[in-house]
Amino acid sequence: MGIGKSQFSEEELQDYQDLTYFTKKEVMFAHQKFKALAPEKVGHNRNAKLPMAKILQYPELRVNPFGDRICKVFSSSQDGDCTFEDFLDMMSVFSDAAPKAVKAEHAFRIFDFDGDDMLGVGDLRQVVDRLTTPQRLNEADMQQLLQCLLEEADLDDDGALSFAEFEHIIEKSSDFSKSFRIRL
Amino acid sequence: MSGGERKKRGGGGGQGWEEAGAEFYQESYPAAIEADLQALQRDPSHIATLLPSKKTRVATTKRVRNEPRTTLRRRTSTRSRGASTVRRMSTNVHDVAVAMLPDLSENLSNEERIWEEIMQIKAMPICMAQKIQLKHQLQSATKLRLQGFDQLKWQRRKVWQQFRVRLKETYSKMELWHHSLKKIEGNFGTGIVAYFLFLKWLMFLNVLLFLLILAFILLPTILMVAPEAESCVYGTNSTNGSVACCSKAYQNINTSTSTDITDLVQGSGIMEFTLLFYGFYTYQTYGTDGDGLKYNLPLAYICTIIAIFLLSLIAVVRSAARGFKERVVEGEGQFYQYCNLVFGGWDYCIHNEKSAVIKHKALYNEMKAFIEAERMEEERQNRTREEKIKLFLIRLLVNIFVISVLIGSATFIYYIIDISYASIASYPVTSSDEGFQITLSNITQLLFEFLPYMCIVGLNLTIPMLFRYLIVLENYSPLVIVRVTLLRTVFLRLASLCVLLTSFYKLIVQEVGEDECYNSSNLQPACWETYVGQQFFKLYITDFLVQFIVTFFVNFPRSMIARHTENKIIRFIGEQEFDLPKHVLDVVYSQTICWLGCFFAPLLPLMAVIGSFFLFYVKKFACLVNSTPSSQVYRASRSNSLFMLVLLLAYTLAIIPVGYAIAELFPSKSCGPFRGWDTVWSLVISTFMDFPNWLQSILFFVSTAGFGIPAFIFLALLLYYYYAVSAANKHMIIVLKNQLVLEGHDKQFLLNRLSAFIKQQQDQAKFRQEQSSELGNFMQ
Repeated sequence: MGIGKSQFSEEELQDYQDLTYFTKKEVMFAHQKFKALAPEKVGHNRNAKLPMAKILQYPELRVNPFGDRICKVFSSSQDGDCTFEDFLDMMSVFSDAAPKAVKAEHAFRIFDFDGDDMLGVGDLRQVVDRLTTPQRLNEADMQQLLQCLLEEADLDDDGALSFAEFEHIIEKSSDFSKSFRIRL
Repeated sequence: MSGGERKKRGGGGGQGWEEAGAEFYQESYPAAIEADLQALQRDPSHIATLLPSKKTRVATTKRVRNEPRTTLRRRTSTRSRGASTVRRMSTNVHDVAVAMLPDLSENLSNEERIWEEIMQIKAMPICMAQKIQLKHQLQSATKLRLQGFDQLKWQRRKVWQQFRVRLKETYSKMELWHHSLKKIEGNFGTGIVAYFLFLKWLMFLNVLLFLLILAFILLPTILMVAPEAESCVYGTNSTNGSVACCSKAYQNINTSTSTDITDLVQGSGIMEFTLLFYGFYTYQTYGTDGDGLKYNLPLAYICTIIAIFLLSLIAVVRSAARGFKERVVEGEGQFYQYCNLVFGGWDYCIHNEKSAVIKHKALYNEMKAFIEAERMEEERQNRTREEKIKLFLIRLLVNIFVISVLIGSATFIYYIIDISYASIASYPVTSSDEGFQITLSNITQLLFEFLPYMCIVGLNLTIPMLFRYLIVLENYSPLVIVRVTLLRTVFLRLASLCVLLTSFYKLIVQEVGEDECYNSSNLQPACWETYVGQQFFKLYITDFLVQFIVTFFVNFPRSMIARHTENKIIRFIGEQEFDLPKHVLDVVYSQTICWLGCFFAPLLPLMAVIGSFFLFYVKKFACLVNSTPSSQVYRASRSNSLFMLVLLLAYTLAIIPVGYAIAELFPSKSCGPFRGWDTVWSLVISTFMDFPNWLQSILFFVSTAGFGIPAFIFLALLLYYYYAVSAANKHMIIVLKNQLVLEGHDKQFLLNRLSAFIKQQQDQAKFRQEQSSELGNFMQ
């Protein structure tokens, strides 16, 4: 990890350790992974901003149906391009140590495609579609699925999931925190 | 909806809500109300988005903050909550950083509080630059220094935190199989990884068991000098059967026979009289003839075995309980199945294209299956009587068939064991001088020795396949299929073990006369405990070797063929999925053998450690190379509780025969720590008699009915109390949920009314404006 040391001062590492769910070693390891995405660029500027296409080369994100959404949510410029700090934030949320509520908060934003702070029918439909590509559920099945979904979770019957409702589900799902996780 | 009205209705359960709501209003209204009203005027129907529950993540941030239990943090929590409220209201996040800063002029924080706040920044959903800024601002803020004891306490907390980070760092460096697990996870998802974690957990359990044995049995035996054995006087009949003479005779048998290579795998010959088996351990107390340290090995032996079983029980039950608790929290599993599937369906850890494709497909199938199941449920209610009867008959037939197969294989094993013993007995003990030569007779003998175990393992391999084809006929739902197959396979495996145990029992339980060491006329082995230990040793080795061979020499070629051929039939034969229930059983089975055998062969846990270490790699190979990702979605939580349940079942099976052997059977006279006692347990009882009187009387009292019955009643009452509480809670959940729905309806209704009202007012205002402007025009 000698390369990492030369690029960060001890103070910065301490900051990162305090502000993420990582230890210093893990931060440096994350930086190595980040550097591997674009070695020459990050070599010059350790906090270089990489375009979304580059970030999506990260193996777990490449195959993830929500890869672009994840980038957008964590990008500090909101366009999907990520600096190392954004990347670190992302990995921190996906790490084992991050509590469920933090994960839920970000998951909600990932699933909220239209950004209206509600998971409406359109959002849910898109989530399901992205999960099942290349196949698609036919319209009748989709209708039924969404209906069942809302029946389970939509407590106030307004046809959309608010964050409180979403969090309520996540709270009861032991699988969520296990699956919403990327090992560094 | 007014808070007051709700408070009247809300009763006990809803207080948390109320509080949160009330606080929110106090906090954010003065600041936000102006903006809200403006927005409202622009678009009246938009009013729903202004609701607190829609707009902010108050609930989350609040809960996160409140999780740590100190009351000190209360103020902190409100403050940062207010901050995040502000953040959500404004879209331009960058100006907000200042606003997020707590107002420090009001109340100066002390160092500890500041530090706590810094620790909590990480939970905020903002970008790193802002986090750093926030941290620096917090750090540079004026703060009170803590004095005296508080300072000490805070320093201690800080050091403890740092120590934990260090520990985590070293632990993650040492973590076994980190990369393997990541790789498996990337290819197969969390459900399969749960299996490998289970394997790892078992290995550590075995390490723990072995350490116990090492500390209390092995080290004393190796390090301490054994007292001089009692001398044996041959002659009269009564002394011929004495412990001393029998031991001597047994040792003579063992040292006189030569050793073959075959003995190494059988654990006989030279291997028999080693630390590996029960027979080696002395029945005398160490250090009686010298001065100084005394060590009662027999007592230590039995206590260690009991400790091993207790420890295993605690470990298994703890893990099982954790899984059980999760399931209960989930609300009996079935409440949120759709949400679980949609929001928790994707494994974010997958990084392999191919498995991603399969995962997509699996999710698609699962969704289809859910919808299908919904329809099937309807169909089942509409099933005609004829269909019902037909299905019932089919299931009955299949079950009868399954049971007869189980019984058939049990009898088969029984006869094979019989044949094997008979043929071994027909071979004379070859006290040959050829030394390490492998003769034909040796090999045949070896073959016969291993025959029963090969049959058991062979049946375990073939019969489950039969079961898997049968279950298709029965038309169960997918979840039930996994359970039923698993249960049947468990019964098969346990049945074969039971048969093995009965055949041992027949051999062991015989009248031993006063004047002889063992019943030699009926083939009873001189030291039956060692003999049983040897059998388990052999079974363990056979089982492991078969796993190895099947994985590398059967399944591997199969998968290679499947990969390189286009022929559909060959592909069908060759292709294999990672069949989770089967692999779980493999592991549980070897663990059962380990538990069963650890009394008779104390080094078996060590074997199990080594075995499970290599088994990890064997299974990893089976998973990564041989199998294609399963088209079935295995859930980590569900499979984990299943593993533990099966393990608990196996544990129960293991403890019964071992307990029986300890409590009832007559230990052999010629070997082992318990020679000379009637049963192993009588040693414990006689030790108990040496306890001080008061302790004895207390323990006696505990065992009397005068204590037992009240205790039992008390426990029953306690159990009933908890049952009642849980039932009440369940009821409460339903009531509260209904209430929530009701509130939702109320809210919707009021909102609609409100927006209609506003609209009306706006229209009126517009109308008036128009009128006045018209009037103005007219006037002009």
